[in-house]
Amino acid sequence: MTHVRYTLESSGQPAEFPPEARQRIDRILARYPTKQAALLPVLWVAQETWGWISREASEEVARILDLTPAHVSGVLTFYTMYNLRPVGRHLLQFCTSISCHIAGAGRLLDHCRSRLGIDLGETTADGKFTMVEVECIAGCDRAPSMMINDTYYEPMDPARLDALLGELP
Amino acid sequence: MTSERVLLARVGRERSQSIDTYVADGGYATLRKVLTGGWTPESVTDEVKKSGLRGRGGAGFPTGVKWGFVPKDTKGKPVYLLCNADESEPGTFKDRLLMEKDPHQVLEGQIISAYALKCRSSYIYIRGEFYEGARILQRAVDEAYREGFLGENILGSGFSHDITVHRGAGAYICGEETGLIESLEGKRGQPRIKPPFPAVFGVFGAPTIVNNVETLSCVTHILNRGAEWFAKIGRNEKNTGPKLYCLSGHVNRPGVYEAPMGLQMKELLFGDDYGRGMKDGRRVKAVIPGGASAAMLTAEEIEDCPLDFDGLAAKKSMLGSAAIIVMDEDTCIVDAATNLAKFFSHESCGQCTPCREGTPWLHRVLGRIEAGEGRAEDIDLLEKVSNQMANGMTICVFADAAIAPVLSSIGKFRDEFRYHIENKRCLVGPRSEAAVTVTA
Amino acid sequence: MSNPARPPAPEKKTVTVVFDGVPVEVPPGINLIEAAKLAGIEIPHFCFHPRLSVVGQCRMCLVEIEGIPKIQAACTTPLKEGLVVKTTTEKVRASRAANMEFLLINHPLDCPICDQAGECKLQDNAFGYGEQRSRYDERKRQYAGYDRTMIGPHVVADMTRCIQCTRCIRFCQEIAGTGELTFLDRGGRTLVWTHDGKPLANDWSACAADVCPVGALTTKEFRFRRRVWDLEKTPSVCPGCNIGCNISIENRDGVVYRFLPRLNPAVNDYWLCDYGRFLSESLNARDVAKATVRGGSEVSDVIVPAAIGRIASVIRETIDADGPSGMLFLGSANLSNEENFLVRKIADHLGCANRDVVVDRSRVRRMKSKTEWIEGDHAAANFAGARDMGVTPGPGGHSLADVLEGRWTPKVVIVADGAFSAAADDPDSVAKLRKAAFLAVAARTSNALTRAADVVLPASSLAQKEGSFTNVQGRVQRFDRAFLPPPPARAHWELLLLLAVALGWGDRNWTPADLREAIRAEVEGYAGVSDEEMAGGGLLKKGLFVSTGAL
Repeated sequence: MTHVRYTLESSGQPAEFPPEARQRIDRILARYPTKQAALLPVLWVAQETWGWISREASEEVARILDLTPAHVSGVLTFYTMYNLRPVGRHLLQFCTSISCHIAGAGRLLDHCRSRLGIDLGETTADGKFTMVEVECIAGCDRAPSMMINDTYYEPMDPARLDALLGELP
Repeated sequence: MTSERVLLARVGRERSQSIDTYVADGGYATLRKVLTGGWTPESVTDEVKKSGLRGRGGAGFPTGVKWGFVPKDTKGKPVYLLCNADESEPGTFKDRLLMEKDPHQVLEGQIISAYALKCRSSYIYIRGEFYEGARILQRAVDEAYREGFLGENILGSGFSHDITVHRGAGAYICGEETGLIESLEGKRGQPRIKPPFPAVFGVFGAPTIVNNVETLSCVTHILNRGAEWFAKIGRNEKNTGPKLYCLSGHVNRPGVYEAPMGLQMKELLFGDDYGRGMKDGRRVKAVIPGGASAAMLTAEEIEDCPLDFDGLAAKKSMLGSAAIIVMDEDTCIVDAATNLAKFFSHESCGQCTPCREGTPWLHRVLGRIEAGEGRAEDIDLLEKVSNQMANGMTICVFADAAIAPVLSSIGKFRDEFRYHIENKRCLVGPRSEAAVTVTA
Repeated sequence: MSNPARPPAPEKKTVTVVFDGVPVEVPPGINLIEAAKLAGIEIPHFCFHPRLSVVGQCRMCLVEIEGIPKIQAACTTPLKEGLVVKTTTEKVRASRAANMEFLLINHPLDCPICDQAGECKLQDNAFGYGEQRSRYDERKRQYAGYDRTMIGPHVVADMTRCIQCTRCIRFCQEIAGTGELTFLDRGGRTLVWTHDGKPLANDWSACAADVCPVGALTTKEFRFRRRVWDLEKTPSVCPGCNIGCNISIENRDGVVYRFLPRLNPAVNDYWLCDYGRFLSESLNARDVAKATVRGGSEVSDVIVPAAIGRIASVIRETIDADGPSGMLFLGSANLSNEENFLVRKIADHLGCANRDVVVDRSRVRRMKSKTEWIEGDHAAANFAGARDMGVTPGPGGHSLADVLEGRWTPKVVIVADGAFSAAADDPDSVAKLRKAAFLAVAARTSNALTRAADVVLPASSLAQKEGSFTNVQGRVQRFDRAFLPPPPARAHWELLLLLAVALGWGDRNWTPADLREAIRAEVEGYAGVSDEEMAGGGLLKKGLFVSTGAL
């Protein structure tokens, strides 16, 4: 949680959902009695489409759902999983809550910092890795637990991390 | 006391998530019985009431009683059932296991519960981090539709039902039932003022019941084998049924364990079927019995400590999400308290003053102490600030949860805090000898 | 089962609430905070506002309710018959002190440089309910980049001062309907802001600054201009359009510093539109300081009585020569009922049927009263009043349109208000009026008309006279005088009265109150308008809820 979530970034171009995404959005809309209720799922579609959610994307979502851009911004910044700027190919999410903390999450984090030369919230120069800390991800019995993109890797330790980082494309 | 695995029966088996496995095991037969075997919605609710089932999400409220709060006349509004799969309490991972390994057990329970509530459409609000869980649940939902256990006129009963899997996006407070409701409506997950209660005015302004994954999973078994059978499991008639315990921390075998409600804490930590004792033979220093929101207990206090709602209430703590976090003798309690304060300060929704301002304050002071910059008056200050944050000061009980680790750690390890302040380092643990870096 | 011999007891129209041991009858359906106010009890609060949804977020209004063990927010406690409320217990006192401490731990010590000082609820509640010391000794959270920054065309944001009460957010969503503001992030990092690229730009944006209980949102136009405890508050009516929002002219030493709304649920409720609000500065403009008379190409300063005398003698000569049919009297939609009444009475006295008033049209302006939206599209406040006073061509009389469209050329034109329309600064229109042999104007600021006129009288601003306007609803509303105009300038009514007396009608000692009596006696529909009705709405302090009983 190193970065405050106040600003959206511009992608520099208008955001138009590709047809397949548009169809997913239509199917999503059919499952809720209000358009507003589809906001979180539609934001996920946006993130899956572009990897992150730009100001243009947030305005397109607002347009599709008849919401004010301010409402969408309020939601986007409240929830930590929506990427407000581009992230590396591999988003390294380190759990730092109590069970992982007492299992050595801090040491794991320090190791990753020195291995990659970046700090929390930063991305490596080659665009491969972004490091973030997260709160409990329910991997406590396999602590320290972490996720890379949508996959759990647990338990993790410095040696295993080194191997993994070396393997990831 | 039976050591039969009820909830974890299929966990560990190959293709446990598949509907074929589930049906072969007798799955959805209970649903068929309830829908076509003469059960009325009211009789289902009565059965759940009789079973003594109490919510498995953290609050422990009797489930059947909660269902009864839905008004008889909903004035034309639909009733909504929301499955709370936002499991985010530190130390908790049982719902993740249930959903990833045996999704149909959840679904069948949810459909039966929906029938009891006369609910046409229900949602599973699953935390965003559970990508795999959501995929597995969605596949299971699709299978259930395919086999006719969801959709129109299920099993020819006249009861129709839809389930939508809805993913959250990273907010612990969306596990609070009204925070979940706000989030499902497409807003920031800021809890609502109660009253009105969700059963009367919930999601989309309609009567709503929010139930935990494990709670719904129990419903199938209650309707299958009877309320009496369920009620006989557990320590007494107020603490019934099989329970999943999440054991983590400095034990040899962390994991999810099923046992009758009321398992002894020491059995969970040291039993051969369970935690198998402390790693490297160390001693217990403190145990958090019910997730980050529960008051921590000392080694003395876990003697004769039944792990159920009333047993832990008697110890002035709580069962909560049944997340038992074990800390050994080398754990710096100040460090642990600081970490817990960090969690709460990150997860506060920010809408009301005492919590928004108080949680970062607690975190900052604890962080200062941990970094060797504590002052003598800090201990008193932490207690005073905590005591003016809760007990009605806030909209929801997040603040009450946030102060539990602070008050219990100071209350029970005051000397350790004093040592930390006076000596500018931990009393125990890896940092006790090293020089502590003073951070800005 | 009803018994005809014993009719059922009449349904109670009020609710009994016990506040600190004293039972009070209050109307149902109001908020508990408002009920307390009616009982004379102040329950401190920030986020509650009588016109916005109840959120119960600030936690300042916590009280004890009998039968409920934990303290409860008063604003979210429904009014119920027999409710017993305690506001003076130790628990309540401690909760208020705690809440104030929490609010102040991150609040910057900006009072010496903050506009809100003197009308700041945080100051007031800290003083009234907080402890004298803070125990916070950590770094204060700041919103770097969100201070001293325009968040819209009129509103300056200093978000480090924000206490996250959401009044501004709710105003934009629920009243303005535009929803520009939102919370961003969460927890202790929560910030109120806009979506990037969509500034706070609705027609009532400064109302968001009004409702802000602290100095987080203030207006650029007022920033650093005056300390509020120095300001006098004069009840008046907005001159911007014919909706006639009730305002207070906040002034000192002959300078108007700002308009604030006055609370009038029937017209503008708690609100003011930006256009009208920021007309305040225009009241300070003056470049007609003295009366002038043109002789050939020379324009000389004269004293006002001499200028009036000149007008009167020209009028008398004209009537002697050709009768009254060659004169034209122009009233104004900017002028009061009393002033337009005088215009028409002078014309009547002279037997002149040529009198008229026009009003420019603007885009439709909208204002939310307590119960509905009111619309107005006049660029001035009192066209309806002017017409009601009879400033309209009599039988056979000519209109201004006759002049501007070239159908008629008057010999003498008397213009009661030099800013009566955009036409007064339009060369073609002025040229047509200038065809008259004699042109006299009363004005405060110069334009093509005043520069072309033979006689110019120095007149007053809205702040420098009293009178009444009639709005689009037909409501007659008083405005008071904040300060006298700088001599030799006079109120328009005073100038007109001097002219009337010089022409043999009226009493030099009449006041606007006398004129109002005459209007009541003569003008249809104005007979029953009482002084109290005309007074309109109650004074407000910025950010504060003030109950006048008119909820």
